[in-house]
Amino acid sequence: MQVKEIMSKEVITVRRSTKLKELLGLFNKFHLFPLVPVVEENSRLIGIVSFRNLIDVFSPYRQEILKTVPFLDDQEEDIFKVELTKDIGNLVIVEDIMETKFVSLQEDTTLEEAFKLMKLHLKEEFPVTDKTGKLVGKIGIFDIIRRVFQEKGVI
Amino acid sequence: MNTILGLGFILIAGLFSARLINKIKFPAVTAYLLLGILIGPSILNLTSQELINSSGFISNIVLGLIAFGLGQSFTREFFRNIGRPVLWISILEAVLPWVLVTLSFFFILKQPFYVALLFGAIASATAPAATVMVVREYKAKGRFTDILLGVVAIDDAWCLIIFALSLALSKALAFHSSNTFIFKVIFHSLIEIVGALMLGGLIACFATLFSKFIRTQTELLIYTLGFILLTTGLAILLHLSVLLANMFLGTVLININKSNLEFFDVLKLIDSPLYLLFFVLAGANLEIGLLKGIGITGIIYIFFRTTGKTVGSVWGGYIVKVEDRIRRYLGLGLLPQAGVALGCALIAKSDFPEVGSMIFTTIVATTVIYELFGPLCTKYALHKAGEITIEHH
Repeated sequence: MQVKEIMSKEVITVRRSTKLKELLGLFNKFHLFPLVPVVEENSRLIGIVSFRNLIDVFSPYRQEILKTVPFLDDQEEDIFKVELTKDIGNLVIVEDIMETKFVSLQEDTTLEEAFKLMKLHLKEEFPVTDKTGKLVGKIGIFDIIRRVFQEKGVI
Repeated sequence: MNTILGLGFILIAGLFSARLINKIKFPAVTAYLLLGILIGPSILNLTSQELINSSGFISNIVLGLIAFGLGQSFTREFFRNIGRPVLWISILEAVLPWVLVTLSFFFILKQPFYVALLFGAIASATAPAATVMVVREYKAKGRFTDILLGVVAIDDAWCLIIFALSLALSKALAFHSSNTFIFKVIFHSLIEIVGALMLGGLIACFATLFSKFIRTQTELLIYTLGFILLTTGLAILLHLSVLLANMFLGTVLININKSNLEFFDVLKLIDSPLYLLFFVLAGANLEIGLLKGIGITGIIYIFFRTTGKTVGSVWGGYIVKVEDRIRRYLGLGLLPQAGVALGCALIAKSDFPEVGSMIFTTIVATTVIYELFGPLCTKYALHKAGEITIEHH
């Protein structure tokens, strides 16, 4: 079975230019801040935002650029103590915090392969694209587990 | 002290000395280096000879890991992320110290050209840890800070490339000098470089090919480390550049498939104790006795490296037309020097036993000076550029 058969096709996406304030507003109603795909006008997938990147807002510099740098002291900002300016919600946009190196699945990936990749990358969700790199859906680990329960006749 | 006891002591003492030095706002690497000097043969003599002798071995592995990690920078996204100004400034502020230090060592200090070249190459390195620490501490923000961080992020990649080229050239000059035929020198260097790129690329293809058998993070860690050691070992065996082979391994891996970035992330689980050990051993390798003889060498090195960094940034800034306040002070923010410079110096020490100790001692001594004063210069630069938002009292 392939990913496209069970993935959710309705995905909330944002643009590069989405403001932090809008992003936070968008996910106010959900229990968890999910993995949010960032797409261009033609729905080409260009990045992802997760709660990890929200924490980066508290840091004075862009984390992603320094990812390759050796010998950095691994210190995280204490988000309870950092002072933020109020207008940061309008100043920071998705492009500033999104990750451009990420794992995505092709829609014809098998479920076994998808499950293996989730375990390997320690991730619970992946965006799904077609051959041209356009976002077509999103698959989570629960989608796969539920499908396996169905196949075994449990539900 | 036996070797295992020494290792245990180094790890624990390293951890707590880093915490201590953090209180007075210096990066952990400075603590490791000073700890190494303290427990080394020259002062307390707490390390076993076996451990000191393994420094070359450890630094080859650590530099292999670093080169591999920096290799992932060479993607289109990364270059788009850091932007054109950073690209130009970083290239010039790395190349200019190389040229200036090489020329000054050759003409003023009358060193053989291959020695001057090694000094020059090491001079191009910077130490991002110290710079980032200052930026964090003073909550610096703005275009100057962005460009500064971008430059330190890519700078070490240029340094490793420059050092690899210089090392190849120096070896060819030093070991084939009986034949003054310049083409022979170029030929030997080219083999070392092109061979390394082919080796790295080939191993990256193998690593991608067999990665479908990897199922868990633990396996991935073993797999990645295995391939890095394989590359490093083969490069040493075939007399190719260890740095370029590993860097290209990383570059090809990330460009074949974006999801290969897991290869890089998984190494974070084990690199810190190795880095700690590397710095302490670098400090322990310092021969205090040689310090007396390096006064003028050290001064020339510091003067021309500082000039190179400053003029390089100004020049790069002119090319990409950044504001005056940015290009004028950027060089001052790039002065700290640590891990990559020490690693290169350790390689020089093991590859050129006769002059290596002098090179290494000079680099350790100047590193200590740069690590203590560099952060102050970075702070001054940020202040002058008007990007320090919080003033500490």
